[in-house]
Amino acid sequence: MSMSLASKNKSTIIRQKSVLLHAIRTWFWENGYLEVQTPILVPSPAMEEHLEALPCRERWLHTSPEFAMKRLLTMGMCRIYQIVPCFRDEEVGVHHSREFSMLEWYRVGIGTADLMNETEALLQTCADALGVSLPTIQRIRTSELLDPKLSPEDWLFTWVDQIEPRLPRGAIVFDYPQWASALSRIRGQYADRFELYIDGIELANAFYEEREAQEVRHRWEKNNNARIEAGKNPHPIDHHFLDAVDRLPRCSGIALGLDRLLMVLLNVSAISHTQLELEEDSHDA
Amino acid sequence: MKYQTSQFRNGLKVEVDGNPYVMTYFQFVKPGKGTAFTRTKLKNMLTGAVIERTYRTGETLQAAEVENTTMEFLYKEGEAYNFMDMETYEQVAIQESTIEAESKYLTENLQVEVLYYKNRPVSITLPNFIEAEISFCEPGIKGNTATGGNKPAKLSCGASVQVPLFVEQGEWIRVDTRTNEYVSRVKK
Repeated sequence: MSMSLASKNKSTIIRQKSVLLHAIRTWFWENGYLEVQTPILVPSPAMEEHLEALPCRERWLHTSPEFAMKRLLTMGMCRIYQIVPCFRDEEVGVHHSREFSMLEWYRVGIGTADLMNETEALLQTCADALGVSLPTIQRIRTSELLDPKLSPEDWLFTWVDQIEPRLPRGAIVFDYPQWASALSRIRGQYADRFELYIDGIELANAFYEEREAQEVRHRWEKNNNARIEAGKNPHPIDHHFLDAVDRLPRCSGIALGLDRLLMVLLNVSAISHTQLELEEDSHDA
Repeated sequence: MKYQTSQFRNGLKVEVDGNPYVMTYFQFVKPGKGTAFTRTKLKNMLTGAVIERTYRTGETLQAAEVENTTMEFLYKEGEAYNFMDMETYEQVAIQESTIEAESKYLTENLQVEVLYYKNRPVSITLPNFIEAEISFCEPGIKGNTATGGNKPAKLSCGASVQVPLFVEQGEWIRVDTRTNEYVSRVKK
């Protein structure tokens, strides 16, 4: 587990990534999930104030397969998952890459508590496949860590500055302030969503999904207005998705960064080391 | 001159709360829930103390007006240590209070890095190793040339270090200035 990067060459990582993918696909198959492939070129990217999508002709490279997968749920699919590259502009760092692999799955009829159990089970399967151990995962309400009455700006700054670096090695953080609801349902005072952290790295983000078109439209318009105020272009509204939201069954969904998962499991220090930079390699050839 | 968060990199010299710092770590962080930040570790160039700071994207840091110059130690006069810039032959006097920890290693003609902050010399960096003559130590024990304990020795430059028993007064030794430890004898 403590093997350094220097002793771990690209071909080892490629092999281990393949083992990981096989374990994930087997787990989903055995748990009754269908693997789906939705288009990567989409008419509208994620409607969030702080997500920048890469435009491509008259379309966008998706920032996640969220909208398309939820539409599949309205067509009667009950358990679906997808492993797919996603694209987010302006995100580059040791834990960020403009292009990265996402594992996203949805299940009809379960809430976030069940999804937490499922996520932990899958994580254990991944660790077993690679022969590594996982830290104990503690479940913590955000209100135990931070005052929910803080302004969104102060809350997020304190989260990044103080809370995230001091989380337990394994943590599922849940019940977020309402302003952070994104497309999760508000339950009582909180947004019904959770995030998975290992070694301080945000690995996954889960929602109990909002199912009221009016509410979704309201949030999107708010996000678009905030974008306009910040001098950015508003995103086009995905009307197909909006039309389908009211037919969405009760369900929960989660998006997990696969490159980051590999980083954590293999103890690799930068996301770029889990990806194949063939372009750079070919300069030497 | 100001640096944007996107220009952050290791080795950047910046001013924070009126002190010069060098960036030793930076990390782009963008939570799924909102705006992007950059986490940094900054080392105070005067005291060596390390602080952690998080910056929002769009915040800027002022560049620190610092400059390193290689200089040679000339002589001590009262409380002042005099150095000479080897390129311009300009001389500068630095007070003992500014370089209290380093001054005991200063031997004539020793080259050091002098750090200027806002055109004022504020600290010096010694070479990792210096050579100095032992001005005093107890006589060695005959026959004990390899093993055994240590004894204190006073060096001509003013420092005191522990040396092996076989080392004699008048000999030159090599000392690690980072750990204040004896390294070896030097033939002169």
